Amino acid sequence: MIDAYRRFMNIEAPPAPQRPKGFFTDTSLCIGCKACEVACKQWNQLPADGNELSGNSYDNTGALGATTWRHVQFVEQAKANNSRVGQRWLMMSDVCKHCANAACLEACPTGALVRTEFGSVYVQQDICNGCGYCVPACPFGVIDRAPKDGHFEAGRAHKCTLCYDRQKDGLEPACAKACPTDSIQFGDIEELQAKARRRLADLRARGETSARLYGMPESTEAAEVGHLNAFFLLLDRPEVYNLPEVPRLPRKTMAQRYAISAVVGLAFAALSAVAFGRRSG
Amino acid sequence: MPAGYYDYPVVKRPVWTWEVPAYFWLGGLAGGAFLVSSAAELFGTDEDRLVARDGFVVAAAAALPCAPLLIKDLGNPQRFHHMLRIFKPLSPMNLGAWTLAAFTPVTLARAAAEAGRAGLLPGPLAAVARLLPRPLMNAAGSVLGAVLAGYSGVLLGATNIPLWAKSKLLGGVFMASAASSGVAAVTMAAARRRAPEKTLHKLSRLGTLATLGELAVLGGFLKQSGRAADPLVKNTFRVPFWAGAVGLGSLVPLVLEQVAGRRTGKFTRSLLTVSAVCSIAGSFCLRWTIFEAGKESAGDQAASFGLSRRTQA
Repeated sequence: MIDAYRRFMNIEAPPAPQRPKGFFTDTSLCIGCKACEVACKQWNQLPADGNELSGNSYDNTGALGATTWRHVQFVEQAKANNSRVGQRWLMMSDVCKHCANAACLEACPTGALVRTEFGSVYVQQDICNGCGYCVPACPFGVIDRAPKDGHFEAGRAHKCTLCYDRQKDGLEPACAKACPTDSIQFGDIEELQAKARRRLADLRARGETSARLYGMPESTEAAEVGHLNAFFLLLDRPEVYNLPEVPRLPRKTMAQRYAISAVVGLAFAALSAVAFGRRSG
Repeated sequence: MPAGYYDYPVVKRPVWTWEVPAYFWLGGLAGGAFLVSSAAELFGTDEDRLVARDGFVVAAAAALPCAPLLIKDLGNPQRFHHMLRIFKPLSPMNLGAWTLAAFTPVTLARAAAEAGRAGLLPGPLAAVARLLPRPLMNAAGSVLGAVLAGYSGVLLGATNIPLWAKSKLLGGVFMASAASSGVAAVTMAAARRRAPEKTLHKLSRLGTLATLGELAVLGGFLKQSGRAADPLVKNTFRVPFWAGAVGLGSLVPLVLEQVAGRRTGKFTRSLLTVSAVCSIAGSFCLRWTIFEAGKESAGDQAASFGLSRRTQA
């Protein structure tokens, strides 16, 4: 019966799950060349975002968005003293985190956002109707809706696909391929996590005490959204890179919110019943 | 010096426009009016039931523009039906789409039943309308209407926008506002229809209680929101919020209802009509200011960090 329905509706069986793949972005290796941004734009045929100068270091990209799926940040930590103590230039290539518990995916009312067989979070462009609910749901401000009157896939939600098309053909994502310093590494998520732990220990041993990993299964930021399939090695607190300390998953408080709303509704229903009761008035 | 990366926002600004608060307002009003009308029919006197009839028509009229408003706001409106290709109550947006899809026909059928009873429908249609099961529709419509009135606040709350998400009371605020505006809509129809004064006074008392409840929940919401509520109470939207949502929508109706409660005659009707119009307009101001101020709070990096910190700074 179900099989007949599937055949009739032309529903394919979902692809068999593979070992989850992801990014390890080691910011200690980033030189801010933006090759990842360019490679991403080229491969995914994303339009340019204009030629405005932000005045904030070399960051003229500004933020991730519907047509920007890699964003290199330039954090200038220059202290106004002559000793040069604490002067640093932190660079970090930001990307969709492909959260284990993805807020955008849970918010999506159409089922356009799905978990792929590679463990990444993907927007099916033929399903998305542009309701825009994933946009405020994301705790990292990653996903966005293309303008309704724009030229690029107007009115639909877009974000990094973790190069789903390339992965299908066994290729690594364009940004990782283009990265000249291996700051962006692509691979089996568990292997990458092991690699990241070794790298962190190495950096700490060499005196880089402020280094830390962001998005590992055991760390505090995984409390609600789970581990990140695109995780980072940072050289400062997450907030320095505009990353939330504990990214929130809206689902966690939803039952309480419904309950409060229901209590108010029931109270009003009871008041209405009393107000019209035959004895009153 | 900002704590984060320059002064860049942490979360994205919602892309929704005016259609969304307009829908929340009308949907809430429809749900509230349906609930009040059902209560009047179930518990009220024969005179109260006459008022309920108008209430159902008002609810249907308010529910009718809701779906078109929602569809207009979509990035791809021609794909509106994708909302109903799956049932996923985990997503408040999906739950709301199903609720609206169920509530709209129920409220239209309920209004048609009243039109049939009032002799406004031609012969065969009236016969069909008479067959509709009124108590069943009242029960179903009341539950669906209450969900429609409250889920919108939960929908906004279940995001990472500081003003919407900081306090868990937004669903309660919208529900209470839907209640007070729903009562107001029924009162307006009843006053126009020259409903008996006894019924009007019952409605007016219920409206007062709903408004007091709304003020209480709103107060709790603002207190819990803290600095996330700055765009609403202190900055850009302070005038439409305090004057429109609180003053016009709550305080003016409270005073007018008190004055009307002590009087009789035509003056009472006029007072209650004015009070109802204020309450309905204020309800829109509330939805619109919270909606727009929330969009603005998305740009507040510090408020976003405050939302995501384990230890409140």
